[in-house]
Amino acid sequence: MTLFAALASIVFGAMGKETTRERWLYGVKVFAEFMVIGLALSWLLYFIP
Amino acid sequence: MGGLILVKTAHIEADEVEPTPGSAWLIGVAAWFVPGLGHGLLMKWPRALLMGGAVWLCFFIGLSMGGHMFDLNAPEGSSQILQVPPMIANLGTGALYIISWLLGHGFTDDPQQAARATYEYGNTFLLIAGLLNYLTMLDAFDIAAGRKS
Repeated sequence: MTLFAALASIVFGAMGKETTRERWLYGVKVFAEFMVIGLALSWLLYFIP
Repeated sequence: MGGLILVKTAHIEADEVEPTPGSAWLIGVAAWFVPGLGHGLLMKWPRALLMGGAVWLCFFIGLSMGGHMFDLNAPEGSSQILQVPPMIANLGTGALYIISWLLGHGFTDDPQQAARATYEYGNTFLLIAGLLNYLTMLDAFDIAAGRKS
């Protein structure tokens, strides 16, 4: 999941914004979103039989 | 009723739309066929390495995990039409898909391969590799057409 999030956020970040700084920030934000949502959904599904 | 009614008409001029240069289409095709080549041809090397590299890596990780790619040959008991959406996603990797298809690598319906713990992860990586390359292709096309820098 981490690898998947990293690869996807690299592409999203590279094409997302105008300046290099904005791209870095956007890439990191997308990566964090993938990880947080992935972990949250995993725990949610863990408790659902 | 000697009033004068003035009607003001607004003349809206349509924005001139510049035609897309032919080279942009060629760049788009090149970007689809070889992930990263589109940005490479545009001399956007960091983006070519990052975006193309991510697609290549995603594809080979998917294959090494034992992932399965889709074509129009449906397995028994499955409809052919269900093969089309994942096939379109897989096809996004361009030459990587075509070469694998020609070599028959990653297309076999092998129960042993499907039993691997990483099989579904591999499938996902292969699908995402194609979809990410579609995004990369559109980015290269937009740059070549002068719509973004």
